[in-house]
Amino acid sequence: MSKGWQLTLVLILLGLFALFYQGLWGDPRHIPTVLIGTEAPNFEGPDVETGQSISLAQFKGKVVLLNFWASWCYECKVEHESILQLHQHFKDNPDFVMLGVNYQDKLPDAQQYLQQYGTTFSHVRDLKGQLAIDYGVYGVPETFVIDQQGKIRHKWVGPITGEVYNNITQKVIAPLLKAQPATTKS
Amino acid sequence: MRLRFTLCLVLLLAIPVPLFAAVQDETDVDIQVREIAKTLRCTVCQTENIWESGAPLAQQMRGVIRDRIALGHSTEEIRAYFLSRYGDYILMEPPKHGVNWLIWVAPFLLLLVGGFFLYKEVTHWVRDTPTPPSQPEPPLDDQARKRIERELES
Repeated sequence: MSKGWQLTLVLILLGLFALFYQGLWGDPRHIPTVLIGTEAPNFEGPDVETGQSISLAQFKGKVVLLNFWASWCYECKVEHESILQLHQHFKDNPDFVMLGVNYQDKLPDAQQYLQQYGTTFSHVRDLKGQLAIDYGVYGVPETFVIDQQGKIRHKWVGPITGEVYNNITQKVIAPLLKAQPATTKS
Repeated sequence: MRLRFTLCLVLLLAIPVPLFAAVQDETDVDIQVREIAKTLRCTVCQTENIWESGAPLAQQMRGVIRDRIALGHSTEEIRAYFLSRYGDYILMEPPKHGVNWLIWVAPFLLLLVGGFFLYKEVTHWVRDTPTPPSQPEPPLDDQARKRIERELES
């Protein structure tokens, strides 16, 4: 076998090994979502604290940030301060709404979590996991940004901290809010 | 005959009753849920399908399948729903389009290429290995001839 053929064969094998390695040990967070640019699924569920019904349709025409979390999730605690900071940053903008989605949790645990760590926005309960599946959620925390037209514009798997925080505030939410300053009420 | 009958009876009784019950109690909906769930990957455990996985998300996905069957959705509609939420990753069997063809074709292609190179190498070795010159059988010496004759006579 010539040297050229041997080299080609080794390169092909190395390429296949790299593919298998990525498939077996790659981070599932890097799986691209198919939901970007699609219509955000509507949902309706009880508020974790008040029990009152909350639906996405209520916030039609606004930029909505959806943050999936659970009281048992360590990374949710890691990002909690940043999440509150993010709400603080945009809460005065009438075109911005932030909603938490409590996922695979017990109501007393979720309420206790919010009392302990504090909250400044509403949280809806995902009672049967349907909401999470509708949004293609793998685990928590996961964050989605929905634009004024009701389309999913951004998804992040993992805590919103550091560079991720800067990216989501400056490169995702701020441009969306600038794009359509007039509030469209439903 | 009686012994055989008794043995059969003992064997039948030895089989756990819930095993039969589980099979008999399985409705058409259960079968459809199982068939669909087996084709969908558990997104939090990766190597398992959602029928075999014990993860809460897999359990909820099975619930969603059941609910959709109850609403009259077909198997393909339910699979399409999961596909629209999670992409190709949710399918245990990658769909045959685009770059996915590589997964289906690569093993056979490798076999063919490997077989070709193996064939080339083996034929190369066979051709290049020098064959020893044929030599006449060495004649038996007297001592060996006598030993063989002695053994034949005994």
